[in-house]
Parts: sequence; structure tokens; C-alpha cells
Amino acid sequence: MSNVRVAVDVGGTFTDVCIFDDDTQQMRITKVPSTPSDPMEAVMHGVERGEIDLAQVAQFSHGTTVATNALITRNFPAAALVTTRGFRDVLEIRDGTKDDLWDAYNDVSEPYIRRRDRFEVTERIDYNGNTITALDEDEARALADLLKRRGVKTIAVCFLNSYANAAHETRMREIIEETIPDATVSTSAEVLPEIFEYPRFNTAVANAVLAPLVSGYVNRLASRLTEGGYRGDLLLLHSGGGSMTPRLVEKFPVRLAASGIAAGAISAKHIAQQCGYDNAVSLDMGGTSTDIALVADGELRVSQEWQVEYGHPIIFPSIEVLTIGAGGGSLAHIDIAGSLRNGPQSAGADPGPACYGTGGTQPTNTDANVVLGRLGTSLAGGAKHLEKSLAEEAIRATIAEPLGMDLEEAAHAIVAVANANMADAVRLVSIRRGYDPRDFALLAFGGAGALHGADVARELGIPTVVVPPSPGVTSAMGCLLVDIQHDFAHMYTGLASGADEEGIEQEFVALENEASARLRHEGVADEDGLLQRKISMRYQGQWRSLQVPMGSGPGALEQAVRTFHEQYEREFAFRQDDAPVEVYQLHLTAVGKIPKPSFRPAEVVEQKPGEPEDRRRVYFGSDGWLDTPVYERDALAAGTAFSGPAIITQLDSTTVVPPHTNAEIDEWLNIRIHLEEISS
Amino acid sequence: MSDTLTRTDRAAAPARSTRLDPVTFEVLKNAFATSVDLMSEQILRTCYSFVIYSRDFSSALCDARGNTVMQGSGDIAVHVGTLHFQAKAVIEQFEGDIHPGDVFAINDPYRGGTHFNDVSFVRPVFSQGRIIAFAQNKGHWADIGGNVPGSFDVSASEHFGEGLRIPPVRVWSKGVFLHDVAQLLVANTRAPEQALGDLHAQSEATAVCEREVLRLVERYGTETVELAMQETQDYVERTVRRRLADLPQGRWETVDYLDLDPGKPEGLVPVKIVMTLDGEGIHYDLEGSADVVDTFLNSGYGTTFSAIYAGTKTFFPDVPLNSGFYAAVTAEIGPEGTVVNAGWPHAVTGFCSGPYEKLMNGIFEIWSQIMPERAMACAFNLEYLLVGGRDSRREENPYFMWYDWMAGGWGGRSSKDGSTATAPVFGVGLAVQACEGQERLTPVLTTMHRIGTDSGGPGRFRGGCGVEKGGTLTDADASVMSYCCDRARSITWGIEGGLPSIPHGVWLNRDTDNERFLGSIFSSVPVQPGDTFYRPSAGGGGFGDPLDRSPEEVLEDVIDDYVSVERAEADYGVVVIPVDPDLDAYELDRERTAERRAYIRAHRRAWLEEDPARIAEQYRAGEIDLLDVIRRHGVILDWGTGELFSETTRQHRQQMIRRSASHWSS
Repeated sequence: MSNVRVAVDVGGTFTDVCIFDDDTQQMRITKVPSTPSDPMEAVMHGVERGEIDLAQVAQFSHGTTVATNALITRNFPAAALVTTRGFRDVLEIRDGTKDDLWDAYNDVSEPYIRRRDRFEVTERIDYNGNTITALDEDEARALADLLKRRGVKTIAVCFLNSYANAAHETRMREIIEETIPDATVSTSAEVLPEIFEYPRFNTAVANAVLAPLVSGYVNRLASRLTEGGYRGDLLLLHSGGGSMTPRLVEKFPVRLAASGIAAGAISAKHIAQQCGYDNAVSLDMGGTSTDIALVADGELRVSQEWQVEYGHPIIFPSIEVLTIGAGGGSLAHIDIAGSLRNGPQSAGADPGPACYGTGGTQPTNTDANVVLGRLGTSLAGGAKHLEKSLAEEAIRATIAEPLGMDLEEAAHAIVAVANANMADAVRLVSIRRGYDPRDFALLAFGGAGALHGADVARELGIPTVVVPPSPGVTSAMGCLLVDIQHDFAHMYTGLASGADEEGIEQEFVALENEASARLRHEGVADEDGLLQRKISMRYQGQWRSLQVPMGSGPGALEQAVRTFHEQYEREFAFRQDDAPVEVYQLHLTAVGKIPKPSFRPAEVVEQKPGEPEDRRRVYFGSDGWLDTPVYERDALAAGTAFSGPAIITQLDSTTVVPPHTNAEIDEWLNIRIHLEEISS
Repeated sequence: MSDTLTRTDRAAAPARSTRLDPVTFEVLKNAFATSVDLMSEQILRTCYSFVIYSRDFSSALCDARGNTVMQGSGDIAVHVGTLHFQAKAVIEQFEGDIHPGDVFAINDPYRGGTHFNDVSFVRPVFSQGRIIAFAQNKGHWADIGGNVPGSFDVSASEHFGEGLRIPPVRVWSKGVFLHDVAQLLVANTRAPEQALGDLHAQSEATAVCEREVLRLVERYGTETVELAMQETQDYVERTVRRRLADLPQGRWETVDYLDLDPGKPEGLVPVKIVMTLDGEGIHYDLEGSADVVDTFLNSGYGTTFSAIYAGTKTFFPDVPLNSGFYAAVTAEIGPEGTVVNAGWPHAVTGFCSGPYEKLMNGIFEIWSQIMPERAMACAFNLEYLLVGGRDSRREENPYFMWYDWMAGGWGGRSSKDGSTATAPVFGVGLAVQACEGQERLTPVLTTMHRIGTDSGGPGRFRGGCGVEKGGTLTDADASVMSYCCDRARSITWGIEGGLPSIPHGVWLNRDTDNERFLGSIFSSVPVQPGDTFYRPSAGGGGFGDPLDRSPEEVLEDVIDDYVSVERAEADYGVVVIPVDPDLDAYELDRERTAERRAYIRAHRRAWLEEDPARIAEQYRAGEIDLLDVIRRHGVILDWGTGELFSETTRQHRQQMIRRSASHWSS
């Protein structure tokens, strides 16, 4: 009987495994070091360490940063772009804008495919889909031969106006596949059938360059799981907060671009809901970076456009998350002007922090936390031993001596800079969105979030910090909470009044057929499938459109127009009932329902904590070194209340409860830390 | 107008200590930024003008006196330092008669505005019965009437035919929309419905800012919010002044040029800049700049100050923009009647292609000497190509406007090459349009949109590459083409020994019997279906001696076709042998490279002194290449006919000796 759900989240430093037993409604976790050269090793290692019988697993879901990391590090195979003659540089010209409007030395990063690997072919289609110049097949074949000679097997085909007529792209793909049978070809109209060449080309190119690595990885993992006895589909979390199976990843790997990032945000929303906070900001701090997501009025923000780096848009609905280069492994250093900096460079998993003893000599946040006594010398339940003397040496040589500071002063300064950087980023997503962070709860998770959470909250004037039961695998838990989801779109431009309602209905039916086929392809039973129509509209002459729900049958369009006026007014505070409304795009979201785990609250019994596991000296800035109790997280039952300072250790994380705070364990086994001078 | 009036007239008290606690100050300062950025976000999502949609807009929160407290973080550079002028113009006009629910429109370049297309909406924010702030949004309308579609009348020398001039007028009165006034405004444009849409969208965007400010007032109280608005300005002023303490004091000067004044004989038109640092502030003096030109490439005082602020800000990238910045940076722009202070009724719509970027680049050059780590050679010139007429693809035969601007190259820098295919310095947020969008809206088919090989000015650090764009007019009637640019003659220059890039200018029916070079500024040239047009944007100027660039770097450029094999040899003296270009296989001939470099080194000074008339002759005879004429001989011609411009050449050579030759090692 299959009764176990497994969720695996691969981070830069650790791979987290979350095991939920449907019978007991209990969750177990395992944490193993990530293996960047082949992330699957760590996944399988985690399965082994978690003593998971794959034959008993009902659902195996996975959030992966394989795609994100490949985009950041440009770890791509040799790839080529084939494009319309005259348009070789669409990827490099972009829209010409820069992220940094004023720093003339801060450039937009290079395109995903270099100029030398971009090739033109004669063909042209107009805005209406009519052929102006037929695809020159001789040229196309000669180009395919050239690509073969160059040894390229990863190819994006991106032609102008292909969203209106994809015939040339499709033909070009056939010619390439005839010449290079093992080539992986992405065409822009298939990946994203939308107008505007630059975002479409870039999305298709990202899809192409990710394909070999990402789908190769996903397929290998799926077959390893099957060999182990797993009979279900491997579910992969995608950027939009849904999941998909390897069959679709093969075609649309770019949808996994924000996979690992979405998981944490979904968990944040879940925790905020559990705790009864409408407004919460999550600080998901891992080994190399911190993800910040905002839950405002109970909802996460979804954006239609997402990018790993400025200037490289990926046009799919994506959960909005701000990622900054601050993590446990972020390197502290002294810059050319003699001031102390922290990140964004990271020691990563290799060589890792100095205290790992794996060759790192530069101090990281982890090293500073070890020196300050906040972090013990044993991590991941003893799987990893930290060498305090190496941390001390790194901080002494790199920071303390050049700045003329004591060792603990220097370590504290490193942590203070990291905390200020994170507080700034939280300000960016909250205050800049018009929210005052003081009205929010801070959800601290990720391997290092609970070490820093209370200090960051103090910096921001946030009164409450929530540390979930398994902070280090909170993201992984997000993978347990999602459905299969696919998004489809079709361009349809025309005035809503007098529009061909029957024609629109037909287009939706066609999208629905495609979507149903895809859900079936994903193995979703018909009764679990759910199709949601939406339509984007705008006042004629506007450039941006607004998505509203769309019904079916006669009168649906009229109703959608009414909804459009209402929603427009809600969002922008005005409406124009007399202005003609234009339809821009038809959307369909296909959802394959997956049963969710049900969590059971614990019984709350007011109590004091038992005897601490240990006591050690911990450095708290102006409070100096304090004798601090160290508790085992498992020993703290719901209802336990205590005051800081305290350190709470568990397999996947360490929580710092600083002096001048009160903490309690709630019914979901979250630690809630209340900052005294702020809350009182 | 003199600077004493245009300077911010605030009672600045930079030494005053702050009265707000640091957290409240920080929260309010950021909240002001949020209120302004929210206004920008809304306008981006509700606008009708594709020019606004491409980010040609700005937003500001001004205090009760009209001084800018916060400007949008993503705002176009060209509007920087103009919004307070317009808030003040509204106050001047309506003081004592401003009420809750009022909204004012203004686009007047003679009252500190930019050009007629940039229409501002200004909404007063009231608390406790008094004005505490003004929310303002300024956006570029696609058309504001006048002689030509798009309202860029290149031939205008006075403003009367250019488009609708809007002094401060009330469009909403105590919350009531004044239909008649709105109609008067939009009925003077070619697309009244669109204009009305933008009028509503912009005005509503200012309401977003008002809402946010009032939320802050409710939470922190009126006085605290007012105090924070003042302290936010003081903070910026203090920051700039403290930075100055670490910089040398002294006097620096430079001159840059516009191409021509059609009212005068050929010859470049000087824009002169002197800058002084005295430890107190940053002072500019533009004395010696030319008289107004007989085109619309003049600048009003608003945009001249904007160029000065924006150019300076480039060297203080992290300092927020508000009137505190404008207090630390002062300028003497001289009496009216010059190209940098044109005054009524001289046409100024083209300021952006004219004095604006000359001032910015000149300021870059001056600061490059003070902050070598931020040094940068000249960037390409802002350019707009306009094709307007009737779209015969549709039965109604509607007006169409193909209104196009390009990215281009920025100058080489002291530690890296210039930025390729980048938006103009006039506004690096100004997005170039998608060809696919343009083709849906207009009967113009784009035939190429690509990076120009050899367009970057040679240097130790190469200028960024420019872009080439070509198009064909398809189904159109009664169409004309106009172009607003510059630097066909005042070529984008290098510094520290770097070389110039390429000339701007439009070619009609290039490589056919009907080929015509139309130059960098022209108006209403009739075009027929089937006509093709082509234009490049310049690359950036080079930084440092090109003979100091390593052959390996030149080779990489050749592989990517940023630099051709021919120019690698001509400009860099690097001899590259193609072995199998299909497989990116090239070899460096090091021996011939050494010879070639020695030869160039020995002759290049003399090349700059050769008889220009002979060079012109050789060009006309097809014996030498356009790039050799410019980069090697410093000679300026009519690039179509090959006619020599003697005075222009003399001036061009003079600046090239100063910026390039005087830095070459012998």
C-alpha cells in the first residue's frame, strides 16, 4: 500500500528530503550535502538515508535549482540560434535598456548565445502570418550542414512573426533534425506563441540551452526512481507554483527556471495561513543565497515575466521572489577601499566554508556563526563536523587582523553586515510595495534563516519571528502542496464589441483540447482535471492588458467585459465605461488535482522547557558572551515557553533566540519569537 | 532666463541637524520612493502612448513649494531636474486658487518643460486644509499636433507650428472633470482618443501617489511627513557635499559640437562647458556656447539644467535625485538666445538630439579626468526616424506613425569596452520597440535590425557597437519621412587616444540608382511604397590608443564580427588570417602585426594633416573608405556626395588632436 509522500528540494549546499506519512500524518526529514556535479547523487543518497522504500511512495515531488543554476553560471552545452536574415542580434540588442540607470559601469550580462553562434537564414513572414519570402531550403540545408560541422546539437529556431505562422520554424526544425538526428531543437512559436520577438526569442533560447542538462537530469532521476520501485510520476515544481512531469519537462525545461525558488514561497504562504497572519515576509536563507517572498493579504504575487538576470526575460507566469546573494556560505572580505563586505560571492558547496575543512580559507557567515557560538560544531545530525579552529583562523587572517579587531568583534561584524543586507532586501520588497514591514511577521527558514531571523527582524522593527518545525526543509514541503498545472495562451486581438463570440469559443475549445490532452499525457485522471479560462483585455489603444476570468457559451464575453471594467477600477482606481475594450489574449490554465497531505495540530500544554541538552557561551554583540542553554528542538513540545538567550538545535537547522526576547512553541510546532522592546 | 531664477529657491539649511529619528526617516524616505514608483508602475500599465509604454515618462513627488522630494527610480534621464520647474509654474499661475481635487496639465518648454510631447499632470495633495505636496506624472504623448505626425517638425525654427503649447491649465476642478478644456487639448492632436486615454491615465496615476502620501500622513502625522520631505532633500544635498570633500578642486573645460546651423555657413556649432569644484559645490558655466540654431535642435533652460544634473549624476550613481541634488549643483547658463538657453519662441523640440547629449557627453569627459575609474568616451546620439502617412492596409486608411528610435554604442571605458546596443544616455530606460509590434501597427516592414560591424570607435577599450536598421514602406499613401538626430559631422568621439566611431545619417534606397544620403536631420521627405531606408546608430568612441589593444582581444572581436578583418588591420594594426571562418578558425600573424603597428605609429600624425581636399577627392573616386576618412584623416564630408566641409574638418581635426592624437605614444 502506497502511503508515503516524498518531496526533495535541491539547494546549493544541501539537498533536503521531506517524508510525509499519510497514515500517521507525521513528517520526517533528511538532509544530505548537495552534489553540484550531479545533483541526482544527493537525491538518491537522501532517499537512502531517509530509509524510503520507493515501492511505498505514492507521490514523489521535486523542486530543483538545476535550471536556475545553469542560467546563472551559463553552464550550457554548445548551442546555436537560427534566425531570420537581418535579425541575428535580437538577443543582444534586447530592448536596449539597462537595469542600473545611472552607473555607466554596471552592464547587462551577455546573451545566452554568443554572436558567433547565431546564424541567419532567408525567410520572412508578415504580421498577419502571410509569407513574404519563402524559407530558402537550400540555404537551410547548408546551414544545417554547417551546424553539424560545428558539432552543435542544441539549437533554437526563432523567426520573426512566427507567433502568427509557425510553418517556417517547423520546416527549419525538420531540416535540422534530418541533418542532425540527435539534435534538440526548440522553436520559438512552440515554446511561447506570443508577439514581441525579444522576449519570445529569449524564452525559446533559454529553453533550448537548458534542454539537454535539465531534461537529461529529470529523465535519469525518473528512471532511477522507477528502478527503485516507484510507480507514480516524478512531479517537478515549476516557476508558476504548479508541477509537471518529465514528459513535459523534456519539451519545456525553461518552465523549471524558478522551480527551487517557488517551493519556498508556497511554503511561506502555507505557514502564514496556519499561523493566522495575512501579511508575512519569508526569509529563506540557504547556503548561497536568500529568497524573500511577500505574502500580502494572504496571497503570493504572480508575475507574467520572470528573469534570473536583468535583460533575459522568461515569459511564463512565475511566483515573485527576490533573491539576493546572502547565504551561510557568503564570503566576507575587505574591499579595495578597506571596508568590510559580505557576499554576494559564495564559497558554495565546494570549497565550502573554512570550518568545513574542505579547502576553503575565506571566512563565511557560517564560520562567523561558529566563532560566535551560535552554530555548534556538528551539523546535519552529526553528518558534518565543523572545525572551529579553521573558522577562527580564516576570520583572524582575512578580517580581524586587517581591521585591528578582536576575533569575536570581527565575527560579529560579519554577521551584522549580512543582517543589514537582508534587512535592506526585505525593505525593498515590502516598503517599496507600499507596505511597512512592521505590520508583517517574519518567517525564517532555509538552513541559515533561523540563525539570522531574529536579528533581521530587530533591524526592521518586526515584532514576531516564526521558525517552522523543519526550517531547513521548509522549501521541500512546498513541493507537497501543489497541483499539476499548465498554462496555455493564444493571441487574439480584436474589439470585444462585435467580436466573433463563436470564434473565441472555438479557440478556447481548441486550447481546452490541447490542455486535456496534456493532462492525460501527464497521467491525470479526467475527474481530477480542471480547466480555467481567462481572457486578457485592455482599453483599445493601451499597451498592457489585464487578465479576467472567462466563462463559456453565449454572453460569456459580455460578462468578461463587465468584470474587466470592475477589476480595472479595483486595480487602477478608475474605469472608462465608454472606451472600447479590446481582447488581447486567451488563456487557459489546466490543473490536475493532487490530494494534499493533511496536517494535524499538536495538543498545546503550557510548560517550561526541560533541562537543556547543553550550555555554551554565545556572543551577542552589546550583551557580550552569555552562558546560553542549548535545547533539542524535538524536546520542545507545543506550549513550551521560555526567554532568550537560547539556542535550539535540530537536524536541519539551528535557531538563535537572542536575549530580550520571549519564545513559545505553537500547535504547529513552530517557534514564535517575540522581540521584547518591539512588541511591548 | 538666468540661473538665479531657475535654481531651486528653497531656503536650504544643509547644516541643520535632522529632527526625525533614523527609522522614521528611513521608512518615510523609502515610502516617498514607493509612492512615486507606484505612480510609475500604474502609468506603465494604463498608458496609451507607445512612447510612454517604452518608458519615456517620469514621476515625482514635490513639496508644497514645488521642490522635488523624490523622483521615480526608473525615470528617463531627460526629465530629471525638470519636474520641479513645472510644479513651480503651476504654483506661480494658480497660487491661492488651488483646491483639493484639482489637476493641472502643463507641457510648456518655456516654463521649464522639456518639449511639447511631454505633458505633465500635477495634482495638489492636501492635509489639514493646506497643500503639503504635489504629485506629478510626465509622459511623452505620441502626437501633440503641429505640422508633422509625431510633432517633431525638424524644419521648425519657431514653436508656433510645432504642436500645442500648454501653459498651466486646470483639467479637473475640485474633482469635476473639465470636458471642454480636455477636448481643447486632445482635439489638437492626431489621435484624440489616445490622447484622452493618456490624460486620464496620467491624472489617475497622480492620485495613486496622493493616496500613498495621505496614508503616511494618517500614520505619522502631517508635520512629520512634511519634515521628512524637507529632510529627504537635505540628506541628498549633504551627501553630495560630503562626497565633494574627497575630490580635487579646480577648473575643467571642454567643448562639444552640434553638426550645423542651416542659417549659417557650414561649421560645427559649439556647446562649451566649464566646470569648477570649489569644495562647496559643483558649478557649471556654459558661456561661449553658440547662438540659437535655425532648426529645432535648441535647448530651453529646463532641459539644459536636466542635462547638467543627469550628466553629473552619472558620476554619483547611488545618490537619489531630488531638489537637494539641484541645490548642490549650480549653473550659469547665460542670457536667452543661445543654443543652451533658447527662450521663446525658438523651437526646442529637438533639444534631445541637439545640445542635451552634447552637454551630457561633455560632462562625462570632464568627470572622466576627475574620476578615471568611471571614465567614458562619447556615446552615440539619440535619434528618431519618423515615417507618417496613411495606412492603406485598412479600409479606413487611418493615419499611421512609424516612430522609431534605436539603441547604439556607448563609449569605451578605462577598464572595459563600451556597452553595445544600449539605450541612449538621454534615457537608458527608453526601450527600443519590438519590430513585430511595429509591423502590426504600421505598413513598414523591417528588413534588418542588427549590430553594426566596425561601428565601435577603436581604442585600447573599444567603443560599444551601434545598431543598423533597415525598412521598406509597404502599403501606404501620402507618406513622408523626417529624422531628428545629429553627429553626422560632429562624429562620436574617443578619449585618451581612442578613435571616433561612425557618422549617423539616413540613406534612402541605398545601393540602388536612386540612392540618397539624407543626413542626420531632415523633414518631410516624400516616400513611396517600395522605398527602402537604412540607418546606423553610431558606436561609442574608443578609450585609449587602439595600438595598445592586445591582438588576442582584436581576434575575439573578429570571430564575433564586431570588427572586420579589414578594420582589425586598419584601425588596430592587427593582421588576422582567416583559416576556416565557418569553424571560427583564424590565426594572428604576429610578425606582420608588429610591422603594421610600427607603420601606423610612424605615420598617423601626418595622416591627420593631409590635404582635406585630396582626401575628399579620393573618397569620391572610391579609393578610400569612409572610416579611413574619419578615423585616419579626421576629414568630414557630405557622405553622399563626397563634398568637403572645410571649416567643419578644421574643427573636427582640432578636437581629434586634443582627444586622440595628443595621447598617442610615438
